[in-house]
Amino acid sequence: MKLTAVIRENGLSLLPLILVLLLWEVTAGYVVKDPLFLPRFSAVMSAIYTLRNLLVPDLLTSLYHFAIGLTLAFALALPLAIAMGWFRPVFKAVDPIIEIVRPIPPLAWIPLAIVWIGLNDYAAGFIIFIGAFFPILIDSYSGFRDVPRVLVETGMVLGCIGDRKLIRHVALPYALPSIATGTRVGMGVGWMCVVAAEMFGVGDSGLGYRLFQKFYFLHQMDYVIAYMLVLGLLALVLDRMFRYFVEERLFRWKKGIVK
Amino acid sequence: MAVMVLGCLDRRAGELTTITIGYQPSTHQIAALVAAEQGWWEEDLAQFGITKVVLKEFPSGPPEMHAMLAGELQFAYVGAAPPISAIYEGLDAKIIAGVQTQGSALVLRPELADSYTGPESLRGLRIGTFPPGSIQHTVLSRWLLDNGIDPNTEVDLKAMGPSDAATAIGARTVDAVFLPSPTPTIIVAEGNGVIVEWSGTMWPDHACCCLVASGKMLRDHPEIVSQIITTHIRATDYEIAHPEEAAEIYAKWMGANVATIKDSLAVSDMHWTHDPHLLVDSTLAYADIIFDLNRARYEGMGLTVLGETDIFDTRLYDELTR
Amino acid sequence: MGHQLVLRNVTRTFDAENGSREALEQINLEVKPSEFLCIVGPSGCGKTTLLRMIAGLDTPTSGEIILDGKPVLGPSPDRGMVFQEFSLFPWRTVLKNVEFGLKIQGKRDIKRTAERYIELVGLTGFEHSFPSQLSGGMKQRVAIARALATEPAILLMDEPFGSVDAQTRNLLQVELLEIWKRTKKTILFVTHSVDEAVYLADRVVVLSSRPGRILDVLAVDIERPRKRTSWQVNALREQLLMLLGSPAPVK
Repeated sequence: MKLTAVIRENGLSLLPLILVLLLWEVTAGYVVKDPLFLPRFSAVMSAIYTLRNLLVPDLLTSLYHFAIGLTLAFALALPLAIAMGWFRPVFKAVDPIIEIVRPIPPLAWIPLAIVWIGLNDYAAGFIIFIGAFFPILIDSYSGFRDVPRVLVETGMVLGCIGDRKLIRHVALPYALPSIATGTRVGMGVGWMCVVAAEMFGVGDSGLGYRLFQKFYFLHQMDYVIAYMLVLGLLALVLDRMFRYFVEERLFRWKKGIVK
Repeated sequence: MAVMVLGCLDRRAGELTTITIGYQPSTHQIAALVAAEQGWWEEDLAQFGITKVVLKEFPSGPPEMHAMLAGELQFAYVGAAPPISAIYEGLDAKIIAGVQTQGSALVLRPELADSYTGPESLRGLRIGTFPPGSIQHTVLSRWLLDNGIDPNTEVDLKAMGPSDAATAIGARTVDAVFLPSPTPTIIVAEGNGVIVEWSGTMWPDHACCCLVASGKMLRDHPEIVSQIITTHIRATDYEIAHPEEAAEIYAKWMGANVATIKDSLAVSDMHWTHDPHLLVDSTLAYADIIFDLNRARYEGMGLTVLGETDIFDTRLYDELTR
Repeated sequence: MGHQLVLRNVTRTFDAENGSREALEQINLEVKPSEFLCIVGPSGCGKTTLLRMIAGLDTPTSGEIILDGKPVLGPSPDRGMVFQEFSLFPWRTVLKNVEFGLKIQGKRDIKRTAERYIELVGLTGFEHSFPSQLSGGMKQRVAIARALATEPAILLMDEPFGSVDAQTRNLLQVELLEIWKRTKKTILFVTHSVDEAVYLADRVVVLSSRPGRILDVLAVDIERPRKRTSWQVNALREQLLMLLGSPAPVK
């Protein structure tokens, strides 16, 4: 009984997915028949099993690079966002620099990262940092900048005198949803940079490293796709976990849900 | 999506009017550039309806073979090792002629070169070289193993292209590099390294670059393949007879310093040759090594070690040089 | 009994592109403790500016504002304020909103104090609701509770019932008078509604249109609870409307 209810509930989401996988398997196995051009879905699945001893350390390394990049991005973006969002002169001074640097794709930073930092985990973390930094910064300072005046003045007449108290008790709580959104977007971009960061051999393991430094050069396409899927799934998991732990819990007030 | 489909179809249809030849920026493959510079490729192939010959540059063999797997190249100047891993994965191509043997050098940072006494000195160092599946990676790995050093755990081999490696050793992000000429000499000229070993001492007469033709070309257009070999022989004989001019042609194509290239030719232990038979022994050894490195996967695919006929097709060469 | 709030020759001039603009001119006012004072005037007459200066959110160009013998230099919980726009912190519950001022001041036992004021505005049971779950009238009642919780010397209200519907408005007026009776706070209430002013105030200050000057200050000597339709109320309304209809007096 319960199963049919589950199927009915999620059918619309799951059915197309299953159809795509079937289509892949059939096309690869019977139409294309070239494991270099399109490996079969079943081949990719068994590749994941074959690679399981490599997969876990690679996964952990990529997560490590991701953690370095994201932590750095958050640590730098948040104070800057407070300064830019709250103090108009700071915004006017810094924004032109931000707007010039922001459009530079993270990949373009790789040669510099290698020369500045070297072929190590921190260079990889740096590329991820570049990817995650700007979304976090921009969404966050927008949050601080958009604090309604009436809330600021309410804070003042209730005893928050001075920028520090106002930022702490009024601006920061108001901006928190924007910071969360920015962080979530930053996480997405940062994860996409993981492969770019690792493909140049910074470090000795990692999903991107393995994909580009081994599987690609040895033309092992089923392994390539296996790792692509892992990269995608991991991004999904990270995003969902963030939404659950941060957005669902902390921002109940936005939706008007009470415990 | 439509663009992708169209792109895939486009390559399989139509008459053959363009030939694409892959090559790498190395003095090993000057023959390709000599023939291009003198216009011999297009001259000699015009009789077969070929109107255009395109040369495509790749930093190293593995990406070049990846492009050949994708059907982008009909011919390739490439080390003898990269085609092997590609053939294991299904590349339909054969080595049809030789290009050269030896000619790669181990370069150490100047401050480390003084204390170099042999392979033992490399323990714990970070060495930039071509990617796995390349001649350089294979020769270096074999040499380290033969000298009791595990290339996976006791040195840090980093895959990179020639210019990345030159930058890396200059920026000290690697301690050493192992690359084909002329990059080692260029690094020395920039004061960033000292050549301490030549590949010929690591593995005497080891096969290096060769000329590869796609299976399709061999089956459908053997006359074109024959002509390519003929032009290649002519270019090889020319460069052997006129090394100065060869250096100038290379420098012009690559935007390199002529004097440095001439130096490189003088010091390199490379040996230009168009005879594929000279490459067979060491190439079969490469096939063994590569099989070993990927044993689990290849055995799982039902493969066995490649033999001479899996890799070489010397019939046309033999006919031409009878 | 001395005056609690004194305004002496308060003037406010704004700088604009084409010269300066006088918003308020020579305002002189004295407010007694526990008095309910309404300020009425046409749109743009500067009544909100006047209230903001008393709150300390704006500064007079000249003149002085003195509360309990001390000049007003900036905002402070001493002068509580309820704004026209909804001003509750949306991320805090009703209880946490009311506690806010107490928390900033580092007071103790803030939960009990807050609950008391929530009860005063008739919202017991809604302590853990979020502002997004409240109606407009309820929001303003919480705002009043929050402003009163810090026990200010004076409560400033800038058209607090302007954003709610007419019926809720009348109800809130009645409740406000209850609260005023119980807390005995001095209240300065800005409104553009003559009806509202007559219903609520002890005295009504009438401002002219820009530049705002005090046209007159009328005492409302009608006993509470007032009937909105009684002849005394009507008479006063007419008086005020006539005053508001007239142009600014010549100096």
